[in-house]
Amino acid sequence: MTSTAETTSRPATRRRSSVRAQADARFGLLLATPALILVLGLVAWPALRTAVYSLQRVTLAGEESWTGLDNFRALFTDERFIHSLTTTVLYSVGFLLVSTLLGLGFALLLNEKFHGQWLARSLLIVPWACPWVMVGMIWKWFVDGEVGALNAALYQFGLIDSYAAPLSDSTGALVVAVLAGAWRQASFTGLLILAGLQTIPKELPQAAMVDGANVWQRFRHLTLPWLRPVIVVVVIINTIFGFMQFDTIWALTQGGPGEATSVLSIYLYEQLFVYTNIGLGSATAVVLGGIALVLGFVFVKLLYRSNAITEGVE
Amino acid sequence: MDVRYPTAGSSSTSASLSRRNLLRGALAAGLTVPAVPLLTACGDSAAKTNDTPGTLSMTAWEAYPEQIRERLASFKDQGGSPVDLSLIPNVGYGPALQTRLQGGQAIDVFYNFAYASTKYVDAGWAGTLNDFPGVEDLLTDMFPASAARHRLADGRIISVPYFSAVHNLMYNESQLKKHGISAPPTTKEEVYEQCKKLKSAGVPSPYAGYWTKQFLEEYFLVYLLADGITPFDDKGAPAFADDPKTQDVMEWWKAMYQDGLTSKDVLTADPGNHVSAMAQGNSTFFELHHYFLQIVRTTEGPESENVTILYRNPGTTGTTLQVGEVIQLGAKSGGQRAQDAWKLLKFYGWKDEAGKYSTFTSWAKAAALLGPYPGLFKDPDFLAAFPSYYDMPKLENTFANQSDVVPTRVAPWYASFQVKVGDRIQAMLLGQAEVKETVEALASDARNLAAAGQ
Repeated sequence: MTSTAETTSRPATRRRSSVRAQADARFGLLLATPALILVLGLVAWPALRTAVYSLQRVTLAGEESWTGLDNFRALFTDERFIHSLTTTVLYSVGFLLVSTLLGLGFALLLNEKFHGQWLARSLLIVPWACPWVMVGMIWKWFVDGEVGALNAALYQFGLIDSYAAPLSDSTGALVVAVLAGAWRQASFTGLLILAGLQTIPKELPQAAMVDGANVWQRFRHLTLPWLRPVIVVVVIINTIFGFMQFDTIWALTQGGPGEATSVLSIYLYEQLFVYTNIGLGSATAVVLGGIALVLGFVFVKLLYRSNAITEGVE
Repeated sequence: MDVRYPTAGSSSTSASLSRRNLLRGALAAGLTVPAVPLLTACGDSAAKTNDTPGTLSMTAWEAYPEQIRERLASFKDQGGSPVDLSLIPNVGYGPALQTRLQGGQAIDVFYNFAYASTKYVDAGWAGTLNDFPGVEDLLTDMFPASAARHRLADGRIISVPYFSAVHNLMYNESQLKKHGISAPPTTKEEVYEQCKKLKSAGVPSPYAGYWTKQFLEEYFLVYLLADGITPFDDKGAPAFADDPKTQDVMEWWKAMYQDGLTSKDVLTADPGNHVSAMAQGNSTFFELHHYFLQIVRTTEGPESENVTILYRNPGTTGTTLQVGEVIQLGAKSGGQRAQDAWKLLKFYGWKDEAGKYSTFTSWAKAAALLGPYPGLFKDPDFLAAFPSYYDMPKLENTFANQSDVVPTRVAPWYASFQVKVGDRIQAMLLGQAEVKETVEALASDARNLAAAGQ
């Protein structure tokens, strides 16, 4: 039972809290405004300019004229662009698979208790601490056909008869580029997944073991579903990194040999800074950004779906 | 909850300093700080000249930064303006500079790659130098062949030299003798034969060259010039395509790679790999800029001291490519400021107030770099900067009589051609394209790019 006084005071309390909430929201918005302006100025505005440039012919002197979709037509009839697009897809798929699986492996390993676990976990960060361009340079020496450590190791173990130079071979160069990039990204992936693994309540695997689940079954039916949201985030990030990769490939091969590792970002670089074709370069950036956006959207949808499934189960 | 503080001189009308007010103040500051550069960036970046004398701005790549600072201090000591130096890492210098200039940044003086120099003038980022006092004297002081890099065919003077170099074949003298080769090669065929012999005698990669995509264009010209082939005519048309000898040169090149006479990594290896190979005796020949001899000689290795330069490149004429980068005047400098900047250009790219080539002497001491002036080779300070293993009269002769700058290299479209050369010749070396097809494609690229003005 409620008293009359309590009943009459409720709308007033509600009004006060509503006013307070609105004021807080306005104040929150005000606080976020500087950051919002920075984001708009540094991300949205350049992105918009790039989109506008992609529909224009722009001279270095700054003269602009509208050309409609001409830049995109030129792009999709350029064999080099098609080749770069194909190479980018191949690279990104390889990068995504290797970095994600390797990262998952690292995380599972480092989630186990063993002597020196802290050291191993610290070492996991090392590749991530290397700048992309440095990764390219390290791997260039690592796979060198004359003095590379990889050749030396393979030769010592009797796995090869003579030193090989993968960077001078079209397929080899692409494989090395994928491995070099994925090596660094796997480190970050491992950290994210390891963080996810740490959140699994200890009782769950124990209960599964009591129920007689073996290692694979525990991984398949417990760990993997638990990690799904993390893995979706990882996949989004790794896909975007794969599509945007430039530094490592440039340091390794400059897009060569020939055009073997000429991915879209290298094509874009050449259009903007060598051919100084701002319109075509911007159109390339729009395509590249568009692909990343679509993939990101798809993966986010998957994430929501997986969350919905999880919630449904719960 | 508001916390009220008494303020000085206000007893009745007390001001309040609440958490909210404090944050509002911070918000105002937060809005102002980022807005300033944004508004500046949104401002008109069109060519407004700055005539005000004062501290000059200079942008350079990070090669020998201490020498650059010493040079600028010396310029100031000699009555020049103070200079605010901005250094950009070598990798990515071009894009960074282009972005700054396109964004409207005013730079009075900047290093530039020779191949980009005309493009920068056409874009309105760099100014012409024709009207400045003494510019004709500067050009007259140069080797005639070198001046073509700075004065365009249409008469515009667009830059002054930063440094110059020539492509030469370095070789290991004792290694040749050890394998029964009495003299270095004089033709490409001899290069091939000697490499074959060295390879079968156990030298792993007899011939080294910096054949990465970015540098292949230099080699393309070096190999053509050495056999007397004119790469481009006076109008910039690809004359190499009409010379049947071009195909022979390319066949030789392809055979050098495919017959394993080079390092396996030659298409991607850095010069450091080749320097090391020369110092270790894993390579006998190394074609690159003359100053790499100093690098090889100062690299630890059993063969370092046996490496020397062949001052005549193997080929029917032995002509080689003269390379060099440039310094340009920013287009936004006007009036007295432009005069001050021109003074810096003269100091940096020619002579100091005392009439000495002190900047070039500084580069010579630092890295055995050359300048395109005959007078340099008479300057005792400059000559003393070179180690004794350089034969300076022969180097001078190479500059004066046996090298070509290939003036087309500063055409606005040429940088794009360089990319094509890298792609196409690597494909040819890998066996993905025929020699004839490659030559035709390159000629077609040159014509198309020139026509498009790219």
